[in-house]
Amino acid sequence: MRNIAVPILIVLIFIVMGLYLVAFQVRETESAFVTRFGKPVREVTEPGLYFKWPTPIEQVHKFDARMRVFEGDLTETTTKGAVPIIVNTYVIWRIADPLEFLNAVGTVPKAESKLISQISDTQNRVIGQHAFAEFVNSDPNKIRFEQIQAEMLADLREPVRAEYGIEIKTLGIKQLKVSEDVTKDVFDRMRAERKRRTETTIAEGNAQATKIRTDAESKKTELLAAAEARAKAIRGQGDAEAAKYFKMLEEDPKLAIFLRNTDALKKILKERSTIVIPADSEPFILLKEVPALESGK
Amino acid sequence: MTEQSKKDNEDQKTGAAQQLKRDEFDAAGKSLSDALRFSFMILKVIMIILVIAFLASGFRTVGPDEKALVLRFGKIRGVTEERVLGPGAHWVFPYPIDEVVKIPVEKKVNLAVNSLWYYQTKDEILGEDPKRKPRVAEKLDPTREGYSLTRTTRRSDEILGSDGSDYNIVHSKWQLTYKIDDIEVFFKNVYVNEIKPGQIYFDVITDSIKPLLQNVFEEAVVTALVNYTIDEAIKSKDTIPRHVKRLVQQELDSIESGIKVVSVYLTDITWPRQVDEAFLASIRASQESQKAISEAKTSAENTLNEAGGPVAERLLATLKDKSITEEKREYLWLQLAGSAQERIAEARAYRTQVVETTKANAEYLQQLLPEYRKRPELVIQKIYQDTIEFVLINADEKFVIQPTEGAAGKELRIMINRDPSLKPKSSQPSEQTGQ
Repeated sequence: MRNIAVPILIVLIFIVMGLYLVAFQVRETESAFVTRFGKPVREVTEPGLYFKWPTPIEQVHKFDARMRVFEGDLTETTTKGAVPIIVNTYVIWRIADPLEFLNAVGTVPKAESKLISQISDTQNRVIGQHAFAEFVNSDPNKIRFEQIQAEMLADLREPVRAEYGIEIKTLGIKQLKVSEDVTKDVFDRMRAERKRRTETTIAEGNAQATKIRTDAESKKTELLAAAEARAKAIRGQGDAEAAKYFKMLEEDPKLAIFLRNTDALKKILKERSTIVIPADSEPFILLKEVPALESGK
Repeated sequence: MTEQSKKDNEDQKTGAAQQLKRDEFDAAGKSLSDALRFSFMILKVIMIILVIAFLASGFRTVGPDEKALVLRFGKIRGVTEERVLGPGAHWVFPYPIDEVVKIPVEKKVNLAVNSLWYYQTKDEILGEDPKRKPRVAEKLDPTREGYSLTRTTRRSDEILGSDGSDYNIVHSKWQLTYKIDDIEVFFKNVYVNEIKPGQIYFDVITDSIKPLLQNVFEEAVVTALVNYTIDEAIKSKDTIPRHVKRLVQQELDSIESGIKVVSVYLTDITWPRQVDEAFLASIRASQESQKAISEAKTSAENTLNEAGGPVAERLLATLKDKSITEEKREYLWLQLAGSAQERIAEARAYRTQVVETTKANAEYLQQLLPEYRKRPELVIQKIYQDTIEFVLINADEKFVIQPTEGAAGKELRIMINRDPSLKPKSSQPSEQTGQ
């Protein structure tokens, strides 16, 4: 048993050690290339297990191919029409072409220092082609902010890929500012605009309030007029209905008028009246003398 | 002792020593082989243990809010669904064949983005003393103060030739909540720092992707806000966060990050402190004008209510609307209240009264007629006397005067005690001329 186990073990150990010498793994997150005596022979971008000649002959160089973020500096540049503007651009990039990357830059920090100048060039170039009014505009249809970023990406992508083997996944302006002195003017303008707004608000509010009141007044008048018309109609109905009884009065108009007059007198002099009456009128005549009554008639 | 014997003796001694040595060798060889056998035994045991340990080291536990990928020789193992391992224990080939990458997925992570807010000292952030207002610089230092630009309102009276590039400055604070959605895409594409001993994997991931998210998020905010006016931005509850969320997700998808935005929350948004007064005045003005309007509305309501009660408005509308049936209109007229109703009620009372009076008069006449025809003078006299009596009884003051004959110049003056509650009427005589 020992006779079989020992050689197997030894062979296994040798195989494993041999594999360590001739095999290498490329992880999902990596890309690599192999050099033979220092000369690059092949590039490996797909993950998996690969073989190579042992170390002195062939060597493997691995790179992390995942996305990295790089932030540029806050820089002042000018738009078309020489308006100063302060922007900060970031890029998300990855090593796409390891060989190119190694030859051109080699390490991540070096790549970043290359990127910073590239980004700055792109900023100046692209932003210089656009007016400030395309960044921010009172008419939203004229805003080209997203297009400007897309143009910057297009401007940066190709040369960086060709020169450094770097793929720019995306680019964005993460700060859009104006110079310190300009902010003062902006504040003045904002104040003025607010003041104007305040005044309009007050004026509009008052106008609206007045309109509401006058509307109500005119509605009231209208309603009362309508009610008055209706009232008049009702009175008319009353008068018309009353007229039916006039026929009955027609039988003796003089008596009717007399009765009406007496009623009127009663009503008119019912309250708060002072009457001055001659003493010889009825029934005050009694105060003067005994009337001569003829009995028997 | 002879030399021979000496020699013999010596030989004997050597022989004995040799014999002794041989014996020792035998014993040593035996013990050596024993030892060897024993060590082989131990070695075997160790090897078996090692093999078991090697195999056992292939067990991996995936936590409840994690998912895992298996890299076989660096390549993700399996196809489609099998590629991702869910929570539980799993066995994989030990290193260097398989490698398990665990990634927290269900955990939602909050990321506060305060870089677009104005600069505050630590004291200002911690001890917000409302009494002591922080000194505000006249200008905004772009390296220190965070802000973004918003567009201005489009004005109808815009000066011709103006390119509309006016803008406002706004400060905002945000919170982004995200989670890792597609672990395969995330693992392949997103850079995560090496985990050093003592660090928690989840924290390392969170820290590693923070700059990426922060940048993408700030870009989204800056890009979104230029499309809004400062008033829209300040009043916005969800339009702008929705817009930002859309932009962030769009960007995260386009770079294939496997990260999903759960929510975007606008923590705070404000105008620059430098223009605080103007903005507050504006807010006050709009509140006041709202107040004036609501007061006007109340007063309008009262006016209409007084005029016609709650149905006033409806009735007015129906009066103008020809399509409304007379019945419905009548119904509304009946509901009417207020002074309009009073007028109608008065009219109704008048109608009743006028009809009733006329009727009563007519009936009275009819009843009186037969008697009157028999002795007209007496009837007339009676009614006349009754009237005079009624009038004189009700009169407040009476003056009975002896009439004089002929003398034209004679004058009689009576001071009448006027009722102070009465308004003077021009026709009411204050003096009476007797004849």
